[in-house]
Amino acid sequence: MTRTRILWIVWVLGTLIVAALFANKLFFAGNRTAVLPGQTAGAHHQIEVSCDTCHTSGPFASAKKIKKDINKTCVTCHKEELAAADDSHPLKKFTNPRMASYWEKVDGRFCTTCHAEHQPEITAEAMVTLQGDFCVACHSEGDQDIRKDRASHADLTFDTCASSGCHNYHDNRALYEDFLVKHAGAPWVAASPVHPTEALAHSYTPVSADQIETYLASIDAPADVVPAPEPAVDLNEITHDWAASSHAAADVNCSGCHAPEAETQAEIDEQWTDIVTEATCATCHKDQMRSFSTGKHGMRRHPKIAKPRSAKDALKFLGVKKPSKELQAEVAKYLNDPTNPGVMTPDEALIHLNPEAAHDSLTCATCHTPHRQDTQRAAVEACTTCHVDDHTAAYFDSPHYDLWQAELAGDLPAGSGVTCATCHMPKSESRDKVVTDHNQTATLRPNEKMIRPVCQACHSLGFAIDALADDALIQNNFSGQPSAHIPSIDWALDRVEPPTQGANQ
Amino acid sequence: MTRFSTKIKATLAAAAVATGVSAPQAMAEGMEFQTVTDLLHLVMSSDRTVYTRMIVNRLAVQEGVIKASEHFVDDKALVLPAQMFRFGSELVAESTDEFSYSLLSLWPINKQNAPTTDLEKEGLEYIADNPGENFYGEEELGGVTYFTAVYPDVAVAEACYACHNDHKDSPRTDFQAGDVMGGVVIRIPMDS
Repeated sequence: MTRTRILWIVWVLGTLIVAALFANKLFFAGNRTAVLPGQTAGAHHQIEVSCDTCHTSGPFASAKKIKKDINKTCVTCHKEELAAADDSHPLKKFTNPRMASYWEKVDGRFCTTCHAEHQPEITAEAMVTLQGDFCVACHSEGDQDIRKDRASHADLTFDTCASSGCHNYHDNRALYEDFLVKHAGAPWVAASPVHPTEALAHSYTPVSADQIETYLASIDAPADVVPAPEPAVDLNEITHDWAASSHAAADVNCSGCHAPEAETQAEIDEQWTDIVTEATCATCHKDQMRSFSTGKHGMRRHPKIAKPRSAKDALKFLGVKKPSKELQAEVAKYLNDPTNPGVMTPDEALIHLNPEAAHDSLTCATCHTPHRQDTQRAAVEACTTCHVDDHTAAYFDSPHYDLWQAELAGDLPAGSGVTCATCHMPKSESRDKVVTDHNQTATLRPNEKMIRPVCQACHSLGFAIDALADDALIQNNFSGQPSAHIPSIDWALDRVEPPTQGANQ
Repeated sequence: MTRFSTKIKATLAAAAVATGVSAPQAMAEGMEFQTVTDLLHLVMSSDRTVYTRMIVNRLAVQEGVIKASEHFVDDKALVLPAQMFRFGSELVAESTDEFSYSLLSLWPINKQNAPTTDLEKEGLEYIADNPGENFYGEEELGGVTYFTAVYPDVAVAEACYACHNDHKDSPRTDFQAGDVMGGVVIRIPMDS
């Protein structure tokens, strides 16, 4: 056999073996990280081992079907957010065939047109994988030429539409023209700045020591109910903290969380657990759990994230229709599928976090003291356990922090203080209930989302737009005034009250 | 087409009977494209006229008890008739691509409702120049051939023309009652 022939055989065999190994990873078993075609963007790295979350098409599906299926999965997690944003460019606007000529420019029928995945080299802010001047595609010709439609825009370039603090592709709730006009001209900060929903949430009368003792005396002594705790646990402190909390007021007692399924004393003793899981909290705190699972802190719990591949399905794929339990167990061992990898820990984050907290897992009790009703801890302290960036560090020297301290000292009314949670986890009131948004990323993508639920409670729209467009001001946690002015409100006013001198024209 | 016809035939026939208008007759098997679009338009325009006259014009213009506003959520107001129509068409688009429709005009307040295809422009001009007549044609969009029908959209109430005449973004401000202000464009893909 000639050397060439041997080399040919080695090459063909080698190629087949490598292809088989990849195919095995892709379609059958094990950790698929090795076959990632490029790192996923943004927070998607948290779920990137769960390929099937986004890649739902069967093998050998057509390119058209794959594209359609992938785009369907985007909205399984982002649908509510887009609906709440009153999306300016919803997919449904583009599906009408009359938009066909636009499909060739920027195909608005698909999320992936602007947000292509696994393309780290070209992924910009907000996971956008188009050039920053993408608005030019549809808003620069004929009837749609914005430079002709708005005299103020005549000399603007298209790379400034979305980068200027004036427009967003999806969420323009605080930026649309009539809104700008409606909220023009207010003083930069209100005379008595108070966030009304925060005020409502903070306005509860603390329970006195006497009330706690009276209450504890009126119920079964917890020591009789709770099995002997670990020596480190101060049961007396726990029961006193609990007695002053909303849990006690709602008759959620020890076993309500530590043995939630138990009904008799015997069952409580048998089922008691010291570790209360999120699932137990979520039994009552459904709204909070739902928003938590859509933010970076809790997205790995999102119910739509693919479950680990099952041994049964793998065998079915190979043609074994009714596998025995033993065979399934053997295959399951071999599968070792890391899909849906539990809760997020700070060491997995892509931003710099406190190394000392690297292995803390993020669950309800990470931020909330389980027995004591202490929203102060959840509003600032808990955040700073992990977040050690400049913006966080600067908070403690900021006017917002001073206001919070003044509120805590009783010098200012409830709702005057501004904590991390005030801006990043805004509260809303619905049907006499105050709910905190536990998606702490929601008001940041883009940050103009913060204007209406947060900033405008105390500040003018103009100040908020300027401040949120000023990176340096964000870094020092809003200690000072914005360095630049965004003229959007002025331009909007000019259209309803044309200036006599023709400024901006 | 057959699939489409059977699915909606009963609804359309019922709607035509209910509105008491002498509508084109649906046949037992299959319908002409034009019959389908005529019937669809009958339902659309009837619902829209009812909303405009009995809700918006009555409550916002005649009785003045509530505003109708483009920013209906922020202003806690009634949805504008044109928006109500568009939201309906978007809901339809989420359910099927077997037909689509939109409300367009040569003088749109919202620029995205200006004609985007040559046939749309031709149709809108035809119905503006020939009051009372519809326009029918065929066009190819995105590789698919469509039957396209354009129906005149007439100012049926003061709410329609008053708002269009007063709006700062309106390119035309001399509309009167009964004027053709735009057109409803309905499309059905002809390739099965």
